Amino acid sequence: MDLVLLAEMIAAAVAAALIYTIIGIIPGTDETAVLVPVTLILVLTGVQPVIVLCFFISAVIANNLMDAVPAAIAGIPGGVMASPLVDHAQLLKRKGMADRSLRKMAAGSLIGVLVSVPVSLLLARSLIPLAEAIKAYADPLFFAGAVLLALLSKNKLLALASILPFTLLIEGLRYLYWGIGIVPRGTTVFISFFLGITIGPVVLTLFELLNKEKRECLKCDQPRRITLQKVPFEWKSLNPFHALKKQEWVTSAGASLISCFTFILSPVGMTTLLGELFSKRTQDPVDRSMLAITTMNALANATYLSGTLIPLIALGVPLSPVAIGPAHALFDSPPVFTATHNMHHILSQTDFILATVIGAGVALIVTYTLAIKYAQSICAFVFKRIPHEAILGLFCAFVLLLAYMDAGWMNIGGVMLIGLVSGLLHRWGVGYGILFMVLYAAPWLVLGF
Amino acid sequence: MTAHSKKDSEMIEIWDDVVRIKDLVLAIAINSITTLGGYFAAPNHAPMPLLFGLIGAVIGFIICSLFIKPKRIFEETESGE
Repeated sequence: MDLVLLAEMIAAAVAAALIYTIIGIIPGTDETAVLVPVTLILVLTGVQPVIVLCFFISAVIANNLMDAVPAAIAGIPGGVMASPLVDHAQLLKRKGMADRSLRKMAAGSLIGVLVSVPVSLLLARSLIPLAEAIKAYADPLFFAGAVLLALLSKNKLLALASILPFTLLIEGLRYLYWGIGIVPRGTTVFISFFLGITIGPVVLTLFELLNKEKRECLKCDQPRRITLQKVPFEWKSLNPFHALKKQEWVTSAGASLISCFTFILSPVGMTTLLGELFSKRTQDPVDRSMLAITTMNALANATYLSGTLIPLIALGVPLSPVAIGPAHALFDSPPVFTATHNMHHILSQTDFILATVIGAGVALIVTYTLAIKYAQSICAFVFKRIPHEAILGLFCAFVLLLAYMDAGWMNIGGVMLIGLVSGLLHRWGVGYGILFMVLYAAPWLVLGF
Repeated sequence: MTAHSKKDSEMIEIWDDVVRIKDLVLAIAINSITTLGGYFAAPNHAPMPLLFGLIGAVIGFIICSLFIKPKRIFEETESGE
């Protein structure tokens, strides 16, 4: 590996850390929706795979840590992965302890990364002998994954009942496109359907705006009120172990370790489950919340990294909710990456280790310092300067572009249809993970009839 | 900007934040035009259309950020026990 490539990897990791520091803080941004388009575009423009991986790892860590920052100092989650810890962060903020909660979150992230990177790399290596057997059954496994996630979700029957109709919607559109000849037979339209699912809730709300009665209901006449708590800075707070009690870092490390083995389950689910499980025995509410936010931040990173790295290195098939969601472009972004020729096949073991370690290392240094030292000014900048409309406009434009690239103008309607249905299902309580698994299993499932 | 007059009340909550419908429509239109415009204006070989589309998207985003005001009331408090 030459020095130029190494410098490019570091530059990519720094860029990712900075971009996703801003994106992470923006409230409500869904991880999949913000990670996939950018990674996809990097892959398609021909950036070297090892640089893309480095970028992605750094982006994940920056995004996860920065998701939690507005939760600590303003009491609102920056993204889906921060939602489990919002209640705890709000309690600490009410007690005027935003600064301590911020430092604990950052230290928790650090522990999550430090535990999950080596464990995931080792676990992936030990799974390689099983890879052939698993790959042979990939399609039924995706279906089984959808059923498993459905059974573990809150609305079991609803999730199970929506599997078949959603399959038919996807395959119906694909066969329609083949039938009228806008897509050559055998080419599977995937990326735009995938983004249609992610942006579903937005599409649904936009359609509701066209209904007059609904529009009256959706109205809220107050701008959002955001109170930011000032965070004093001291140099000694840069030391992560200064911020944590022994119980906090032991619990975070333990929970992170467990979550690496459950990489096949939903990251938000595991973060909530393990985070609450480990913290609920603590009596004092402040101590409990401190423990919860530390552990949950560790878990957010650990679930994402293990969910990405293990399937990527061991299998080359996106067989985990993270791999099939946010990390999807690393597995499948035709024509550059396909099921039989993706990062798993192109990169060597050394490439994987190097890209992960550089990405994680750079992201930690950049975001940890930014979070501790400049959290407040970055948040103030984002809240004051970046309108939510611009973010939504940007995502809609991405989806539009990728829909057109996949199957022409007609596919824009197709993607809207998928967005409408998945937005509705998502609002009713069917998780994205289930819908993504169905999207994968759909061709196999309809042939079974 | 307390938004009590009738004209200001066309605001809705979407993806966890408040937007004004008129601004949202404008933002989607601007971003779509710059993104698709970049895509179609690009030289017609491999990564160029996508790259131009991406640059168009970033330009659209910057234009929107400059001209649309965020609908957030923002205040800072001191921390204290």
